Amino acid sequence: MKLEVEGLTVYFPYESIYPEQVEYMRELKRALDAGGHALLEMPTGTGKTAALLSLIVSYSIHKNFKFKLLYCTRTVHEMEKTLAELRLLASHLPTPTSLLALGLSSRKNLCVNPHVLSAQSRDSVDAACRRLTASWVRSLAHDSPQVPTCPFFESYDRAASAGPDALLLPPGVYTLGDLRSFGRSKGWCPYFLARQMIRYANVVVYSYQYLLDPKVATIISKEMQKECVVVFDEAHNIDNVCIEALSVSIRKQTLEGATRNLTQMSQEIERLKATDAGRLRAEYNRLVDGLAQRGNLAITDAWLGNPALPDDILKEAVPGNIRRAEHFLSVLRRLVQYLKSRLLTEKVETENPVNFCAAINSQAGIDQKMLKFCYDRLHSLMLTLEITNTDEFMHIQTVCDFATLVSTYARGFSIIIEPYDERMPTIPDPVLQLSCHDASLAIKPVFDRFQSVIITSGTLSPIDLYPRLLNFSPVISRSFTMSLTRDCICPMVLTRGSDQLPVSTKFDMRSDPGVVRNYGRLLLEMVAAVPDGIVCFFVSYSYMDGIVNSWNEMGILQDVMQHKLVFIETQDVVKTTLALDNYRKACDCGRGAVFFSVARGKVAEGIDFDRHYGRLVIMFGVPFQYTLSRILLARLEYLRETFQIKEGDFLTFDALRQAAQCVGRVIRSKADYGMMIFADKRYSRHDKRSKLPGWILSHLHDAHLNLSTDMALHIAREFLRRMAQPYDKTGCGSKKTLLSEEDVMKMSEGAMDTY
Amino acid sequence: MYGAGVAFQPTSSAGGSSKEKKRRDEDDEEEEDDNEGKGTDAWERAYADERSWEDLQEDESGLLRPIDTKTLVHAQYRKRLLLRSSTGGSVASRIQKGLIRYFYIVIDLSRAASETDYRPSRMAVVAKQAEAFIREFFDQNPLSHVGLVTMKDGLAHRLTEIGGSPEAQIKALMGKLECCGEASLQNALELVHGYLSQIPSYGHREVLILSSALTTCDPGDVMETVQRCKRAKIRCSVIGLSAEVFICKHLCEETGGTYTVALNESHFKELLLEHAPPPPAIAEYAAANLIKMGFPQRGAEGVVSICSCHKEAKVGGGYTCPRCKVRVCELPTECRTCGLTLVSSPHLARSYHHLFPVAPFDEVSPHGRPGQRLPTTCFGCQQSFVGQGGAQPSLRTSCPKCNQFFCIDCDIYIHESLHNCPGCESQHNSSV
Repeated sequence: MKLEVEGLTVYFPYESIYPEQVEYMRELKRALDAGGHALLEMPTGTGKTAALLSLIVSYSIHKNFKFKLLYCTRTVHEMEKTLAELRLLASHLPTPTSLLALGLSSRKNLCVNPHVLSAQSRDSVDAACRRLTASWVRSLAHDSPQVPTCPFFESYDRAASAGPDALLLPPGVYTLGDLRSFGRSKGWCPYFLARQMIRYANVVVYSYQYLLDPKVATIISKEMQKECVVVFDEAHNIDNVCIEALSVSIRKQTLEGATRNLTQMSQEIERLKATDAGRLRAEYNRLVDGLAQRGNLAITDAWLGNPALPDDILKEAVPGNIRRAEHFLSVLRRLVQYLKSRLLTEKVETENPVNFCAAINSQAGIDQKMLKFCYDRLHSLMLTLEITNTDEFMHIQTVCDFATLVSTYARGFSIIIEPYDERMPTIPDPVLQLSCHDASLAIKPVFDRFQSVIITSGTLSPIDLYPRLLNFSPVISRSFTMSLTRDCICPMVLTRGSDQLPVSTKFDMRSDPGVVRNYGRLLLEMVAAVPDGIVCFFVSYSYMDGIVNSWNEMGILQDVMQHKLVFIETQDVVKTTLALDNYRKACDCGRGAVFFSVARGKVAEGIDFDRHYGRLVIMFGVPFQYTLSRILLARLEYLRETFQIKEGDFLTFDALRQAAQCVGRVIRSKADYGMMIFADKRYSRHDKRSKLPGWILSHLHDAHLNLSTDMALHIAREFLRRMAQPYDKTGCGSKKTLLSEEDVMKMSEGAMDTY
Repeated sequence: MYGAGVAFQPTSSAGGSSKEKKRRDEDDEEEEDDNEGKGTDAWERAYADERSWEDLQEDESGLLRPIDTKTLVHAQYRKRLLLRSSTGGSVASRIQKGLIRYFYIVIDLSRAASETDYRPSRMAVVAKQAEAFIREFFDQNPLSHVGLVTMKDGLAHRLTEIGGSPEAQIKALMGKLECCGEASLQNALELVHGYLSQIPSYGHREVLILSSALTTCDPGDVMETVQRCKRAKIRCSVIGLSAEVFICKHLCEETGGTYTVALNESHFKELLLEHAPPPPAIAEYAAANLIKMGFPQRGAEGVVSICSCHKEAKVGGGYTCPRCKVRVCELPTECRTCGLTLVSSPHLARSYHHLFPVAPFDEVSPHGRPGQRLPTTCFGCQQSFVGQGGAQPSLRTSCPKCNQFFCIDCDIYIHESLHNCPGCESQHNSSV
């Protein structure tokens, strides 16, 4: 259907539209018109992606494709979903438009060379690819044909060099799978084709890292023009992504690996000196001229960029004392040695970058400037040495990463050395962490560079905290609610157990046997009353292990098993995947199942428990972060000093967005229904509750705020009976929730009249 | 705090059956240690189940009035009628219906059936309503057969053989009411599938599962069994008592049945009775074929003969098969000796109306179109449409064929019981 949003013709791929989608589009259009950033919260299952894509693509058609859309997703799975949605949209566009949209992912997901694909991890695929396509390998192969190269890349290169501006990819929407099959049929390398084509594409869908991690962003997204619209979907955790992009942690294994790498490199240098000293000299001369890198690198040689943000990188010549390869290696050796000595500490140490650099300078004799150039110098050296198995050199790269970051940033970072994990003090596991506290650092270049940045998710509450955390000023920030034909979500706050005593996971109460028993009773009552799947979220792995053990001893678990099978998330990804598969099977065949999972775990973030896979989700406790963690404490302090965000506010915000994220797993569409139980007395307090997203709050009746187990059970039974009744999907009268084309016309006319 | 709720329970209405009384006594004894009881205190039940406040509504002047249940019931009835005629195809095209039904009722007697959210228990309610249903079923489908299956302890058990006598079925059902263990959907379906696959092809195979349990404990892959039922053309329907279960929904969708969940006892009854009228015939069976039937004579009084169904000598009554002259007790049935289908002509006649339903009447606004004079009395009962003392005129309908007007009570009577329109019939007579 076509609809008018404030004078713009929007092509929408479905026959009918939800009213909140129209609202969403209107706000989005205003943000685009104003050329500013926007923060939009809309519940899952209301077609956020479809609304976003339709509006921006239509807007771009309106402007004759002057700007492109960069759509960032968290996972490959989401990327595929977005592209599928986009393809549907493309088939509804007016015929002469030539929309080119594609997904970009790592080599592991795009490579079609069977030889390369046999490698296991992402890094080894990258290395295997480099081994076949690096410029020196190719020039070698040019002379001696027995050197293996990648046939896909070679034929792609020939096609690309024939006409540099020739459009290699016909217009259309390409998912990763499409790119692969296109590459296979043409014999071209899909990865480099995609890398090339993002310059010409109208829509690019890729992962957050491609914009936020400076290492990747400088390579991939450098050439994107200012008039791009950037969308971060499912962005409730965007601050954590930003922080992770600039944080480095070094363990004992890293340093040992780095030492090995150094030895290998020095051998290589010796060999080179004997055979081809000219190459080393050429590098030296280049460095004197102030070129950290070899001018124009071939696309295949380009490698992860500098970890610091582009604005902060020095545009100077590399300092003299690390220009020679041997000297540089000895500097690195001293650095590694120094870090090793720091790891030997027996107590926790926290330091700021300035002090740390001073300590390096005095004890290892490496000044700040040298540290700053570490990464670029290493990069240059590895190119000179023609090292292709980059995966083996990860360790020394990590060390250089660390050195460059620690010397570039004086604020917003801290260095924490912990001799052992706080929770397992008996096992020595020293780790040196450079942790970034300021999420705004990594995202700042994105805000500065691009005209409009749209941050959107199902849970962005409280919406006023995000601009402060990320330090930007949105022109639009709004939270939308869901229009429903029936009350298909039923949130409840359970504060008391069946014996009327309060339940909570507060530190002083959590191990109380009464609380444990009350939680167990709650689960037991619910498994008997709720069909198919139930998901339980606990605040941490250790708490889950503890409570499941106690339930086992009390015999509660055995009673639960009479009604439903029990599956548990573990830290092992393979086991968890298996457990999830079997959980789904048990739900399908009617046996019923309970899944025990952890807030902030993999399952809480990425797995949907829609329809019968999750009729009820129970959130046991408030998922606060581990508040004794040094990193968290340092970050809290920084937030208080810099952004005036109180510790308590941030912790509550973080806990509640996790809780909302967990319970939001059960409802993925309007036809679905599900219940959510927040089982902790602290949820009934206003300061906690009010931070839940609006679409949950609007269904949280006052009567459901202070329940005991038996009352919750009664409400659950009633709700399930009500939801099982047949219903009219379109809604009627004033509660109209599915709009046809005429309805939208009427609505906009009505809006005109009121103005 | 909620103290011991047992203290003020005697107001409870349901005229304590001995069983409930016994349970209450137990409660009294366990008052102290059974604080974690399952929400069964009397005061709570009174509020939770009766919800008397919901029968009230506020009118425009702020007074509380009982909800006008009569208009509500009428509206519901109209809706159902229209729905039925629309799902059964348009009125003009004559649809085929499966009149000869082989109908298994699967009753869930698993642990969940002992729950007391229906009073006195789910099991008792199911049994009571099943009894009413069986009678209604035979009334509407005299040519059909019913069998009973129970699920308990993870097993399925055939309570009665499929047969045509309501009394025998009900007797068997009432004798077997106790529940324990798990329910197994797969076992029940396999059992029913085994019996139903033997019946002749003109019969319609149906299963109705009255399910209390929310889980099914199966020995194998239930999905395969669902597919087998689908291949065997068994129409499976489920009425749940507590909540929607995915596998039941899947089963019904696959086999063309309906899945409904009851809100309360009266809703359960309603849902159950929806299964009484015959469903539209499955397309594959739509080809007409002839069935051999016998119309036995009633035996003379006082004659002693050996009955073939009970294998014992009986005096008087009974029917004699026209082909092999054996005595059977009840009709309709299949002759034990020669396999002939034995019916009586009223049975056929009573099934006939399903094929030619009276078209739903059109609703007429009480004031009529301008310039049209409406009759003031109902064609059926001759009562005045205008209520006493200028009360709001009641709803009236008119037959689309003969254009006679009827009051809503007559409308219900015509469609539910009479199955003929008096207006059309009298017209017919006068024209002849």
